[in-house]
Amino acid sequence: MSSPEWHEPGETVDVERLLSDALRPIEPPESLSGRLEDTFSSITQAAAEELTDWAEELTESELQSLKDPRNWVRPVVAVTAGGLATGALVVLEMRRRGRSRARHGVRHLAGEIRSRL
Amino acid sequence: MSEERGPRRDPASLDPGAKAELDRAFEQLYRAHLRDVYSYSYYRVGNHHDAEDLTEQAFLQAYRHFERARAESDGRPLRPWLIRIAHNLASNYHRDRSRRPQTPLENADPIPARHGTEDLVEGREELREVIANLDHLPDDRREALIMRFALGMDNREIARALGRSDGATKVLLHRAIKQLGEEMAS
Repeated sequence: MSSPEWHEPGETVDVERLLSDALRPIEPPESLSGRLEDTFSSITQAAAEELTDWAEELTESELQSLKDPRNWVRPVVAVTAGGLATGALVVLEMRRRGRSRARHGVRHLAGEIRSRL
Repeated sequence: MSEERGPRRDPASLDPGAKAELDRAFEQLYRAHLRDVYSYSYYRVGNHHDAEDLTEQAFLQAYRHFERARAESDGRPLRPWLIRIAHNLASNYHRDRSRRPQTPLENADPIPARHGTEDLVEGREELREVIANLDHLPDDRREALIMRFALGMDNREIARALGRSDGATKVLLHRAIKQLGEEMAS
């Protein structure tokens, strides 16, 4: 506290000296340092192990899915359903065009009759 | 430096290189300021057992928020941030118990000063009196004095730790010392 900046010189010098003597920094016990370092190590290690386990489980799971024929049903169903839906859309579109052409033909014929009359 | 703003990213979610660098930086911070956090905790709670628990909690919180704190500090020292964490934890500690420290500060042993043998006896009484009077100060004044004298923090650091302006902190310290002097003189 060599440069008191909040009071007039000499005003509270004794109080400051007493405070400096009374409020000394306190060394933490050795056991606390060890405990904290153990805690940080275990957090880091646990996080790393968790990530590794997760990655391993994911890989095994993916491989299992590819190998097991029971898991092929869903993709086959999805492809079939997709194909059917596409086919249905094509049929609908062809019908729509057919109707459109028919309407156009009737209009054209009516126009020709009107012009001849 | 608020701890509630923005998303928190756990240090474990970083890529291994970045995490190793972050852990090294945190270790430096921890080694540099363990004594500060412990001293502050001790003077706030008045006993070693709870001071140890508070210190551990403070560093665990700091570890979780370290990456963002470092990014937001813009190169400024992180000690005020650490002390602010300890300060908040100590406030929670007292609020949870809804009373003064289990061992009042006035019962805490003053740390022996480097006096001669004769001075030591007389000096210890004097120091006990300082600590007893310190315990009668309003919380914010006592906390500012602990930061100033036990931790050697300057006005700017104390201001950041207490979330006040530099000017308000200067006034706070001035009034704390003045009140303590008056208490001791009476």
